[in-house]
Amino acid sequence: MRDTTSVASALILPWELLAQPFAQAASPGFQLVDVTGSSGIQFQHNSGAYGGKLLPETLGSGCAFLDYDGDGWQDILLINGMDWPGHNHQRSTLQLYRNNRDGTFTDVTHKAGLDIEMYGMGVAVGDYNNDGFPDILVTCVGQNRLFKNTGKGTFIDVTRKSGLDGRHAFSTSALWLDFDRDGLLDLFICNYVKWSSEHDVFCSLDGKHKSYCTPEAYRGETCWLFRNRGDGTFEDVTAKSGVFDSSSKSLGVAMLDYDQDGWPDLLVANDTQPNKLYRNLRNGTFKEVAVEAGLAFSADGKARAGMGVDIGDFENSGAAGITITNFDNEMIGLYRNLGNGSYEDIAVPSGVGLPSKNTLGFGCVFLDADLDGNLDLVVANGHIDETVRNIRGNVGYAQPPQLFLNEGKRQFRDVSADVGNEFHQAKVGRGLAYGDFDRDGDADILITTNNGPACLYRNDQHSGNKSIRFRLIGTQSNRDAIGAMVRIYHEGTIQSRMVKSGSSYLSQSELPVTFGLGKRDKIERVVIQWPNGKIEEYKNLAAGKSYECIEAKGITPSAGF
Amino acid sequence: MPTSNRSPVPGLFLGLIVTLAALIAYTLYITWQISGLRELQNTTAARNRKDSLQLLRIQNDLNLIAVAMRDMLDNDEPYPLTAWTAQFQRIRSDLDDALRVEGQTAVVQQTPEQRQFLSNSIAQFWDASDRIFVLAQSGKESDARAQIRLSLQARQAGLSTAVARMLVQNNANEEQAAAQVGQIYDRVQRQVYWFLAAILAAILLTSLSMIQSNRKLFAQIAALSDQRSELAQKLISTQESTLQYISRELHDDFGQILTAMGAMLSRARNRVPEESPLRAELQEVTEIAQTTLEKVRSLSQALHPVMIDEQSLENTIDAYIPVVERQTGLTISYEKSGVPFPVNGEVGVHIYRILQEALNNVVRHSGTLQAWVRFRFLPKALELEVEDHGVGFTAKSAKGGIGLVAMRERAEILGGSIEYAVPIEGGSLIRLHVPIEAAEKHGR
Repeated sequence: MRDTTSVASALILPWELLAQPFAQAASPGFQLVDVTGSSGIQFQHNSGAYGGKLLPETLGSGCAFLDYDGDGWQDILLINGMDWPGHNHQRSTLQLYRNNRDGTFTDVTHKAGLDIEMYGMGVAVGDYNNDGFPDILVTCVGQNRLFKNTGKGTFIDVTRKSGLDGRHAFSTSALWLDFDRDGLLDLFICNYVKWSSEHDVFCSLDGKHKSYCTPEAYRGETCWLFRNRGDGTFEDVTAKSGVFDSSSKSLGVAMLDYDQDGWPDLLVANDTQPNKLYRNLRNGTFKEVAVEAGLAFSADGKARAGMGVDIGDFENSGAAGITITNFDNEMIGLYRNLGNGSYEDIAVPSGVGLPSKNTLGFGCVFLDADLDGNLDLVVANGHIDETVRNIRGNVGYAQPPQLFLNEGKRQFRDVSADVGNEFHQAKVGRGLAYGDFDRDGDADILITTNNGPACLYRNDQHSGNKSIRFRLIGTQSNRDAIGAMVRIYHEGTIQSRMVKSGSSYLSQSELPVTFGLGKRDKIERVVIQWPNGKIEEYKNLAAGKSYECIEAKGITPSAGF
Repeated sequence: MPTSNRSPVPGLFLGLIVTLAALIAYTLYITWQISGLRELQNTTAARNRKDSLQLLRIQNDLNLIAVAMRDMLDNDEPYPLTAWTAQFQRIRSDLDDALRVEGQTAVVQQTPEQRQFLSNSIAQFWDASDRIFVLAQSGKESDARAQIRLSLQARQAGLSTAVARMLVQNNANEEQAAAQVGQIYDRVQRQVYWFLAAILAAILLTSLSMIQSNRKLFAQIAALSDQRSELAQKLISTQESTLQYISRELHDDFGQILTAMGAMLSRARNRVPEESPLRAELQEVTEIAQTTLEKVRSLSQALHPVMIDEQSLENTIDAYIPVVERQTGLTISYEKSGVPFPVNGEVGVHIYRILQEALNNVVRHSGTLQAWVRFRFLPKALELEVEDHGVGFTAKSAKGGIGLVAMRERAEILGGSIEYAVPIEGGSLIRLHVPIEAAEKHGR
């Protein structure tokens, strides 16, 4: 046996030597390994589809990484739909998975008190009552739900108590932000269109059979902004703040500081309507400036079908760029910040445009997948029309996700086929979030699919690149430090990340921020701009660690991540 | 052959000037047309397109207002009418900007009344809108909704119609510009055809002129060549007849005189006593006369090989070869082959002269003392070859050699040909080829 192996090795070796340079050239330095089954996640999305072709069936649902029990390990929340009234066949609820700290998860939905049926769409996680435990807002078709974290591993539905009840809509993405910088997290919720099962419109491709409608068939619905009063209730400031817009058909929302004034602004991705950029006027109101900023329309002046949205400093310029996923044949929008309050779509010259020409993107996140110091772009794809291939031969219903590796100088390369066969498998992707669930210093990826399973991909680094992570805790600012800006400096390079809720599509990624450092062992300094505007700076921090930064109290390194 | 001394250069030069002038004229014309096209596209088509885009933007804003008004009247939002203030403000801001840009880019000269109407209508619309929001703010929502229904919607519809009319006007204007652009393209296309035709005609005329002048040039060259050849042949003939005359005079007159002198001196010597010193002197003078006679005969032979006339070319060459060897020290391998046939004396002289010249060249230029002479009587021709393995034909010898020219001319007189070649071993090979008809011409 030994001899046989030796002979085989001798035979194989020359080929390996020959193949090595090519393999190295193509390898992105990491692999995304599908650990869904081995980690114990068994989730199946229920869109409720029974043949009625109801509009919400095509759009769900989202997911989130959160540390609901505060043990420092990222847990997973998966949002679910349900059967439509009159078509009940199965019971389906969202699912909360607690991280067992060994690469596996335990379904704690029932224990946490979350096994409630609702037609869930998206999720926003934030500690709105500043008690140290993240609370959950689930957006729904119908009544949205706010679940308060008791801190004892359970949640209480406080929708009515918080004043968020009595509103029925087709809500999609949502996020928590402290728009008035009072130290309390406020809530922004996107609504899609005015839809109800009773008033569903008949749409058809062949004139006979019902098919899913496009949003043009429905009237838009305004997004909502709720101000946190600090007593557990919320005030609807949609009209007062100036974000009321009955024409919007919103699917994605991201917070950003586009004018770099330290006050959070909002970017809303609209489907077939101009995107909206709400500039925070620092007095409780917003001004919509998307047209001036160059984000409302595509380069040829068309309102695209905006789905997901994320922001990230992918140029390491200190000013965040933007990505917005769109319908097939529209390409992803990748906007660089020109620094003068406007953006330029560089999707085509950057290499992101053409590979996304035949995909319908939903979830999208900027993350440093290979820890080289440049933010990469991950996109979850999947069409809404099962029969799309009959109409457009080169577009499928299930589509592979894409991972665009940032190669610097505004150039991206799609390496999704090189980071793992399972990751590259076609799926009807919707939600997308990242979080370092195994605490090895890199971002792992969670993707939800429409009427299908959720997929968890563990990021395994082979390049030896290092990283540094920061978990921020606000004391005067909101406790999650949502809206804080973290900038690190090393060897003349600056990287920046915002602690943010929302982004992507119906989903939320972890709150701690991760910086890839390549082969560097340390950073020269980190500058934290807290949501209330105060700035703290720490110097000479070693790589390979996670740091807990408590506002006005200092920084504490952990042994590892 | 009649020849013309007219040079083709002026004609060609004229053709070139005409072609260049046509090209310049066409370039200027095209530049003018393109600048007109650019002007039309910049000032009319492009501006018109920009203007239409702004009008579409205005129309879109008016539609957004209509949708917002519909939502306000539906009253199914949990918000007061004032919630739409920001939305209206956004649309107003965009509408104002669109109207301002449209005013700058409008190609169609709108009448002051038209602009005034639009301006007034917009102002009245916003005034009415502001009043409605004031009403709503004061809690009179139903009055505000009634005002929207009664007034604001009608104003919006009026504005929308006015903008639509402007778009139609722009469209007509764009069609007109497109027609003008089409006309320019047609003109340019026609001019391209004309230009191509003109260029083709110029090329054709120039080519014909060149062909004609080349034909004349070749004819002139051929005539000159014939003249030169005729002259050379006349010179050679004259030279030969002169040499023949001198040779005959020397042989006949001086030869007779010297022979007579020798005989008389012999007789006179015989009459002088044996012991007389005069006898010895007479003997000496007699020998001088004999020597002079031999030299005269030798010179006569050299000037004109009489032996050719009296015997044959073959015998003359047989006799000549040893003389050359003796006089020059050259070793000549002489080969003779074939069945001899009679060769005309005049022809023989030319062949003999060619042999003389060829061997002279060997002696003077080859740098070798070995030569080969081959004299062949072929069934249909006579062939003479002179070969050496010396330095061969140098550029200098080939260029300045009157001898080579003379040999060629003599070959031509004979109606034969001469060939200059290089043997495998190097050196030179001269091959004379005379057809049997030419060799036997005027034969015995």
